[in-house]
Parts: sequence; C-alpha cells; structure tokens
Amino acid sequence: MDNLTFAGMDGIIILSVFAIVMLLIGYFSGKGDSNLHHSLSGYYLAGRNLGFIALFFTLYATQYSGNTIVGYAPTGYRTGFSWLQSISFMTIIIGIYLLFAPRLYVVSKRRNFVTPTDWLEFRFKSKAVTLLSIFLMLWGLGNYLLEQLVAIGQAVAGMTGGTIPYEIAVVVFVLVMLAYEWMGGMKAVAFTDVMQGIVLMIGIFVFLAGALYLVGGNFTEVTKYIATNEPDKLGVPAMEVSVNWFSMLVLVGLGASIYPHAVQRIYSAQSEKTLKKSFARMAWMPPITTGLVFVVGIVGIMLFPGLDAAGSEQLVGLMANKIAAINGFYYWMMIIFFGGIVAAIISTADSVLLSFSSMLSNDVYGKFISPNASEHRKVMVGKIGGIIAIFFLLWIAWNPPGTLYEIFVLKFELLVQVFPGFVLGLYWKRLAAKPVFWGMLLGAILAGLLTLTGYKTIYGIHGGVLGLTLNFIVCVVGSILVPVSSEQTLKKDELAVLELKA
Amino acid sequence: MKTKSIKEPIRKKWIWVLLFINVVLIVPWYFPEGAVEPFIFGFPLWAFISTFFTLVMGAYLSWLCISQWNIVEEEEEAAKREEEVKHG
Repeated sequence: MDNLTFAGMDGIIILSVFAIVMLLIGYFSGKGDSNLHHSLSGYYLAGRNLGFIALFFTLYATQYSGNTIVGYAPTGYRTGFSWLQSISFMTIIIGIYLLFAPRLYVVSKRRNFVTPTDWLEFRFKSKAVTLLSIFLMLWGLGNYLLEQLVAIGQAVAGMTGGTIPYEIAVVVFVLVMLAYEWMGGMKAVAFTDVMQGIVLMIGIFVFLAGALYLVGGNFTEVTKYIATNEPDKLGVPAMEVSVNWFSMLVLVGLGASIYPHAVQRIYSAQSEKTLKKSFARMAWMPPITTGLVFVVGIVGIMLFPGLDAAGSEQLVGLMANKIAAINGFYYWMMIIFFGGIVAAIISTADSVLLSFSSMLSNDVYGKFISPNASEHRKVMVGKIGGIIAIFFLLWIAWNPPGTLYEIFVLKFELLVQVFPGFVLGLYWKRLAAKPVFWGMLLGAILAGLLTLTGYKTIYGIHGGVLGLTLNFIVCVVGSILVPVSSEQTLKKDELAVLELKA
Repeated sequence: MKTKSIKEPIRKKWIWVLLFINVVLIVPWYFPEGAVEPFIFGFPLWAFISTFFTLVMGAYLSWLCISQWNIVEEEEEAAKREEEVKHG
C-alpha cells in the first residue's frame, strides 16, 4: 500500500488525533479508580462491570480487526463469491457462544474466575491440563498479537505514503496502546473500543459507497463483468470448496469463541442481561462488516482486473487512492478510514495483549510461581510481562510473513484444541482430566504436524478440525473407559456451582 | 428463584437441530457445480440463497439470545433494583 497520493501530512495529523484521543480515554478510565491496579478482576475484567455499550463495542472491535478489511477484501477479490463464507463464519461464532456462555457466565461470577484457565483448573484439578492449556492459549494469543503488529505497520506505512517508516509507525502505536492499557486496564481497552468500533463501522460504509460510486453505482454491472471475464469466481463452488466452507465454520466458530479474550468478555459483563443483549446485536454485525468488505473485494475484480496474489494484497490501498480522488469529502473520509483501520487493529491488539498479560499474572505467576503474592504484585507481573512479550514479538514482526489470511488460519489450529475440555466439562460430569489432557495434546500434535508438513487442509478440511475431531474422540471414549474414582470427580459443594437450579 | 423460569439454550434440542439445518443450507454443496444463472439483484442464484440463509442465521441467533436465555437475569436485576433503592 505504498505511494498513496492522498496521504502524507494529512494522514499524520489524523493518526495523531486518534492517538491522543485513545490516550485521553485511557487516562480518564483509570483516573479515580484506586482499586484498579490492586485487583486482578479490577484491572483485567473492568471490575466485572461492563455495561451494554462498552461490552458490545469491545466485543465488536475485538472480533473485527483492521485485518477484516485489509485482508478479507483481497481474499474476496481472489476467490470471488465463495468468500461469502466470511459472513457465515463470523455469524456462527454467536451460535457457539450460546453453547457455553450462558452457564460459564454464571459459574464465573460464582467462582470469581479471571482467566479461562481458572475454569479448567477448577474443573479438572490437573496440573497437566492446566499447563498444556496455558501453553496452547498463550501460543494462540502470541501469534494473533504478532499478526496485529505486522498489520499496524503495513496500514500506517500505506496511509502516510511511506512518510512514517514501517518500524516507527509500529513502535509509536504500540507505545500508545501500552500507555492507555497501563493506565486503565480492561476499562481503557473497552472504552477505547467504543471509539475504535464506531470509526471502523463508519469507515466501512463510506469505503463501500466510494467503491460503488467508482463502478457507476450498479452492482449488477460488476457481476456481469465477472461472468464474462472470470466466470470461475461467480459459479457454484466446487465440492471441495464447500467442504472447506463447512470446515471454516467449525474452525472459526469454535476457535474465535474460545479465545481467552473472548471468554474474558463473558466474565466482564455487568449482568446476564447486558451479555445477551450484546450477543444479540453481535449476531447482526457480520453482514454489515465482513459482508460489506466482501462486496468491496468483488467490486475490486472489475476495478483492478488481473492482480496477482501479492498485488491483490494492496487492493484496499489501491481502491482508497481512487476513492480519495473523487472529491474533497471522499479525500478526508479515506484518511479517516485508514485511521479507522489502524484504530481497529489497535483495538484488537490491546485486547489480546491484556488477555496475554492476565494469563501471565493469574496463571503462570499466580498458579505456578508465587500463588501467595498480593494481587497488586500479580497485576504488575502481568503488565511488565506483557511489555516484554510485545517487544519480543516486534522483533519477529520486522520480517512480516506472507499473506495475512495464512496466519489467521494457523493461529486457530492449536488454540481450538482447548475447546472440548472447556465446553464438554461444563455439562458432562464424567469428563475426566486424563482423557482431556491426551485429547488436547494429540489433537494439537496432529493439527501442528499437518500444518508443518504442508497439509493445511485435507480435501478442504483444516488440520485444526481433524485434530479437534481426534481430540473429541479421545476425550469422550477415554472418559467412558476411565473408572470414576473419588478423586477425579468434583466434590458435592463444587458441583453445586455448576447446578443452575441450586 | 423459581426453577421454571430458567432457560438455557443447551437444554433445548430443537435449537441445535434448526441451527444445523440452517448451516447445511448456507453452504452451497447442493447446487450443480459451476452454475451461475439466474441472477437476483446482481447475485448468482446460489450466492443469493446462501446469503439469505446467512441472514436467517443471524436473525435466529439474535432471537435465541434474547428469548431462550434466562438463567440469573431476574435475580441480578432484582439485586440491582435493591441496590439502587439503597443508594437512591
């Protein structure tokens, strides 16, 4: 996305304004809350008191990153209409939440959980399960964070026409993010998400309007053009693509809902009412987010025919350039839109980082290194650990990997292996720790091996989904075969926590 | 709290059967490969139907959240009202 004619100084001004607003929000959300830095749930879960507006926007801005635009439009461009799957796989996430969020919310409030690991530890009381799940979740989060860092640099460099070199852009925005997160924790993350989410929503609408303007406002013309020139992108997809579509629904649905930061948003809800209201609204977001981005990608086929894989990655920048040239209104809207992309990436990265820190605080340090440390100390360890992790990841980010979508699938493969133990454990009392451990381990090994040996999909089915299937089988069969001993089952008073009628 | 008022999606089989059917209808496996015509609002038929069922799924899930999920809401809202009375 270099050589954007519309950017330069104007871009720098808008980015600076955004950065200052974020810092102010962070400052005010932390101000006057003396308890914030002395309590794990205060810092990491906003005191379990997020209201509807903050909860909805933090769900939205965390789930939809800048990558949703910068990475998905090119995928739509390359694959054509079968990329409609992006609307359905973002929608199904809410369906998967309905499988476990209602009960997990109640249990988390009763037991004051801070991280997803708290639930697994409570349920299975197994060091092996706890450690392995911590590893898988931190791995997934780290990879996800890395992806966001790479994307921030690309977006800023594109927007400012290379005025701000890639490395400086990343460092500045990471510092802004670290600063507001340090000051306000989850509260700052959620409140900045409100601003970042609104900018992203408006940006996508204006961008689509500009794109449609460029093709004469007629989408039918676009499909006619594709039918004549690239019919493959329009016809009913091959069976393997449909299988892959099913597989994506499973992988993204289970993976995205079990993300530690996603789970922690369930914990952070002020009440069941705000949680379900937020989810109900979230179910409508995919059509007006990934759906509009899909249309942008399709319009791109007509506007910029014949781009190769690397060229198509620049699609959003190319298009923004053309849209900005329409008139003064679009010029400024495009600059704000690109600022919105950066804001959207930050809003995802901050949530992931916070979750990462919370696991260092509560799980690694609090469970294994120094369980008796004060909460203030635990929070500090997480904050500092998070900063160290960020700079380690930055070091890796200087050599950005290939296309964004590739890493998007990769991060799910291992993380999703936590799902069977996590969700089955809520409902099936017989589910035992050992089978859960072996299921998770074998599933992760299978998924990892398939990916590493180049078999990312087999007949369209992702390695992660195959690993998950093995994982489920091991969990279920193993638990049926393992004799129920008194140690392995939960005590009566602990079971009461899971009983909703109690 | 009355036991009767508890609504938890996992306990209702029909929710998941309908969701499964919905998903099966979204993925275009049941159309003849490569077919394009006819066009509806600029979308090839299969894409139009797939999108339609995706929107149905969004509406369905949104409705489920509001109407089929009620575990501690009354308890919490009552506690909140009490709190407000105390401080108000």
